[in-house]
Amino acid sequence: MEGNTATATTEKFSEIANIIDLYKDKEGSLIQVLHQAQELYGYLPLELQSFIADGMGLPLSEVSGVVTFYSFFSTKPRGKHTIRICMGTACYVRGGKKLVDTLQETLHVKIGDTTEDGMFTFEVARCIGACGLAPAIMVDDTVYKQVNPNKLKAILADYRKKEVSE
Amino acid sequence: MAAEQIKTLKQLEDIKKNYLDAQVKYDYIVYVCGGAGCVSSNCQLIQDTLVAEAESAGISDKVLVYQTGCMGTCAVGPVMLVTPGNTFYTELTPDKVKEIVKEHLIGGKPVEQYTYFDKTLQKHVPVLDDINFFKKQVKIALRNCGAMAYNDVAAYIARDGYMAACKALSDLSPQMVIDEVKASGLKGRGGAGFPTGVKWQAGHDQKADRKFIVCNADEGDPGAFMDRSLIEGDPHTVLEGMMLGGYAIGATQGYIYIRAEYPIAVERMIEAIKQARAAGLLGQDIFGSGFDFDVEIRIGAGAFVCGEETALMASIEGERGEPRQKPPFPFQRGLFGCPTIINNVETFANIPAIMNRGAKWYAQYGTEESKGTKVFALAGDVVNTGIVEVPIGIPIGEIIFDIGGGVPGGKKFKAAQIGGPSGGCITAANLNTPTDYKPLQALGAIMGSGGLIVMNEDTCMVDTARFFMDFIRDESCGKCTACRVGTKRMLEILERIVVGDGVEGDVELLLELGEVISQTAMCGLGQTAPNPVLSTIKYFRNEYDEHIRKHYCRAGVCSKLFLAPCSNTCPAGINIPGYMGLISVGRYVDAYELIRQENPLPAICGRICTRPCEEKCRRATVDEALAICDLKRFVADYALEHGEQKKETFPQNGKRVAIIGAGPSGLSAAHYLARKGYEVEIFEAESVCGGVLAFGIPAYRLPKNVINAEVNRIKALGVKINLNSPVGENLTFDVLKNEFDAVYVATGAQLAQKLGVEGEDLNGVYGGLDFLKAVNLGQDVLVGDKVAVIGGGNTAIDSARTALRKGAKQVTILYRRDREAMPAEELEIQEALEEGVQIMEMVNPLRFISDGGSLKQIECVKMTPGAFDASGRRRPVAVEGSNFLLDFDTAIAAVSQCTDLDFFDNAVCELTRWKTFVVDEDTQMTSLDGVFAGGDVVRGPNDAIHAIADGKRAASAIDLYLGGDGVLNKGEQIELPVIIDEDEITQQKRFPIMIEPASMRSHTFDEVNQGYKKLNAVAESMRCLHCERRN
Repeated sequence: MEGNTATATTEKFSEIANIIDLYKDKEGSLIQVLHQAQELYGYLPLELQSFIADGMGLPLSEVSGVVTFYSFFSTKPRGKHTIRICMGTACYVRGGKKLVDTLQETLHVKIGDTTEDGMFTFEVARCIGACGLAPAIMVDDTVYKQVNPNKLKAILADYRKKEVSE
Repeated sequence: MAAEQIKTLKQLEDIKKNYLDAQVKYDYIVYVCGGAGCVSSNCQLIQDTLVAEAESAGISDKVLVYQTGCMGTCAVGPVMLVTPGNTFYTELTPDKVKEIVKEHLIGGKPVEQYTYFDKTLQKHVPVLDDINFFKKQVKIALRNCGAMAYNDVAAYIARDGYMAACKALSDLSPQMVIDEVKASGLKGRGGAGFPTGVKWQAGHDQKADRKFIVCNADEGDPGAFMDRSLIEGDPHTVLEGMMLGGYAIGATQGYIYIRAEYPIAVERMIEAIKQARAAGLLGQDIFGSGFDFDVEIRIGAGAFVCGEETALMASIEGERGEPRQKPPFPFQRGLFGCPTIINNVETFANIPAIMNRGAKWYAQYGTEESKGTKVFALAGDVVNTGIVEVPIGIPIGEIIFDIGGGVPGGKKFKAAQIGGPSGGCITAANLNTPTDYKPLQALGAIMGSGGLIVMNEDTCMVDTARFFMDFIRDESCGKCTACRVGTKRMLEILERIVVGDGVEGDVELLLELGEVISQTAMCGLGQTAPNPVLSTIKYFRNEYDEHIRKHYCRAGVCSKLFLAPCSNTCPAGINIPGYMGLISVGRYVDAYELIRQENPLPAICGRICTRPCEEKCRRATVDEALAICDLKRFVADYALEHGEQKKETFPQNGKRVAIIGAGPSGLSAAHYLARKGYEVEIFEAESVCGGVLAFGIPAYRLPKNVINAEVNRIKALGVKINLNSPVGENLTFDVLKNEFDAVYVATGAQLAQKLGVEGEDLNGVYGGLDFLKAVNLGQDVLVGDKVAVIGGGNTAIDSARTALRKGAKQVTILYRRDREAMPAEELEIQEALEEGVQIMEMVNPLRFISDGGSLKQIECVKMTPGAFDASGRRRPVAVEGSNFLLDFDTAIAAVSQCTDLDFFDNAVCELTRWKTFVVDEDTQMTSLDGVFAGGDVVRGPNDAIHAIADGKRAASAIDLYLGGDGVLNKGEQIELPVIIDEDEITQQKRFPIMIEPASMRSHTFDEVNQGYKKLNAVAESMRCLHCERRN
């Protein structure tokens, strides 16, 4: 089991090495590399940051500085799905706050944390540009419109159900 | 995908021709909206169903289906447009699509019930061009959005795409392109409004080996989604705009910086770039002109500050997105140290249209100062949320009310937030402001990138300011102290205000901090960060003060400040969830006593209250607001029938208070003063108690015995009521003032306001309240056959229904606005209509025409909505030449009431120009020492519950004034049941009350509303969500 995980990690690192090779010579492509590395690895732990810094020929401090600056990058493991409750003005005005409360109660997690079972990471978004559908939430890349606490619970249940059937 | 390399205009025109020719053989072209909004309501399923149904019906060769970008009506998705005919279907489901295929695409008949429903007009409007949402729009940047397949370069070419670039690259010099853009007057649509041509000129004039053109699609303002819609719906126009910009300034490389929150936009732009490269529209030697140009996408990573141009460039360079000092400006030294021109998505989208159709054509839209159109993202509390494009300069009210359809749910408009966290708010008083850069700035707002968020009366402006400050504090990059520390301090102050811990001086501190931050922060984000706070302080200072001084949040948002939204809204502050709980356990008399602690007239209010509490009831978000008022009436009737008034004695303190007027305000003050041991005497001019309650409200709404029952309970406290005792000649105001320790004036507003038109003195023309009073007091009133009632308030409706009961054959209400705008209670209007009263909207009487001294006809004029007035409503204006005559023998002018202050020398006391008292808002004391006033004589015509609240407040203030502690004696505390209800809430609208059928009631003065039966009352009370338990 552990061996498998280790192999998987090595594989991912070598894939990331390929990505670095691809971008290395293009000016200013660190953020694009980080995007793809996070996509592959799930998050950006220090060892991965260090790996990328070496590959790109940048100081680790610079890579780490960029990772911690942008809210899309995470240095902690993330859940299988990321739930972003939109707290943009329109969603806030139409009840986004209640959704945040509901989610905190239902999942027993704080903003930015991941559920114990590793299913969901809970984040608050600063406007996902779906203001016409407020209040909206985003699970991974899917936007759900006009969500209320009951609908939110149903959406979560759906994801869990899918998990079981998979 | 054709691998053909497009080099000439001829090739473009051939592609266009082939594309359009291929459409001819189809009977119908269906455009399914694939904007992000519709994607989230699963438009793919709609499209798949449509294609499959067409196939199985064997009409695939007759129906062509395209998926398009955003059509703008995001809230009613999924939507689709069927041409020819421009039939616009909304809120589609697979079943609806099947029917549309059968009826419309095969049968040729549009299915009207699935077409767009106009909520304002309350009807379906099937054809796109007739829909108000689209009518006032002018689509230039959005010209292709929703009108073509977004994912096909040929579709773009068929709509003249890349032709501007082809012509420019082949025939025009870069300077000529710049001159055309300059002449168009286009300003940067990202918000700052810098002239695009001037910017390009600066880029052009720089000498450098390498230059860049950058498209800023880091649309981070909360509430803005124009750029997203544009990229998703028409990615090629952005590319063409960038290419033209690149050509103009001499850049061969472009970057599009898109935020990571927009995965669909990224995906579609990647595809568009791929197609353009394949067709030779990006790459080397474009159109054989020798000009090379390519574009790369850079995806943001979730930092708002990256919308600021210098931070954006840092981010493209792969660094932390921190702003850099300007100068040097980007056009001098930008990306990778090279001259760089940055424009917003919408700016680029306008360029191809300008180059194709000419600067002159573009400049015909807009204002003298600002040409063209602006795209807005309309969101928040507005009926039609979505994307709109309007000529610059259109009044902001027109966007919100005509295009946006106004505020849903009968709520009042409060403010529009424009320009996101750098912007400010526009209040109801400023709805006529043109949406143009300078006029908006003058109001402390900005045009911004186009986010326009409508807020209704349930929005707390302090909380909104806190929200924006929280956003900015979170998004501040931390580079400069002013922004990093300043926004944190401002947020802390706002956070303490919204939980009731604000202190005097907080607002001044916010203003000072705001000033410092805007002057010292390094970048635009910091400099504008205080704007939402400064703007809300400017327009809603009273809300800040209420939070700080009274711990009161009028919107019912800052929940630390109140028990429940309903109680918070009730002027008398009744513990509504408390009495709901008592009813649900059958303790009806206790419920009545609990209400009486805050309002001594529950049986009366249970019949005629305007029920502000129900407007804020959270149950409305589930199904329907609780019937709070009807339940109050139920317990009051029960208690008056079954409960004994408790014998209580109050030690007398030997002080005397005189009250003028036995209306709701006077009675309330008397009630609370008597309970504090004062000797209270009321002087009432009329022969009955209750004031307007008794002679202004018809018995079918409020029977006299109900008034008497509650008045008797107040009399039982020892209050002396002198009827037929007008203050004035025999009993002068000065005598009262001298004989009593304090005086409370609660004389109301009882003079019927005149219309001020010719013939008002004719026989058969009455004032509204005069008419009701005469009927109520049993005087002889002659009512003819055909009665006109002028006005739209409750007095007008009462007059109309009373006229009907006095034998009128036909009663018509003439109102100068539309029915929606009537201030009367909706239920009353409904009941009046049921009884046969007619309403003529948008008419105004000009004169009453006599026939031998009696009314014969009314000359009226048609009205039309004009500009917005200070209350945010459209002021009706007469349509010239639309005068017409109507036959009436009776007219009742019920437009308003004013006060009658003839009982004392007005010179001795400070009054408003409407002849109402100026009082201290906390104590109700007038400028005369020891004289207090409340109710309509202070407020002007208003409702009973506010009058009651005033009387209560005055009682407390009078007690303080006369040496007491000001704490009202409300009686023993009533123990409330513990409500534990963990069950899931199931949908259940109001339980019904008993109402007399219209046919039975319209000719008698018996009470119409018979109230709740016990079982339904208990059930209704159990619908309460008990918002007070949340903590």
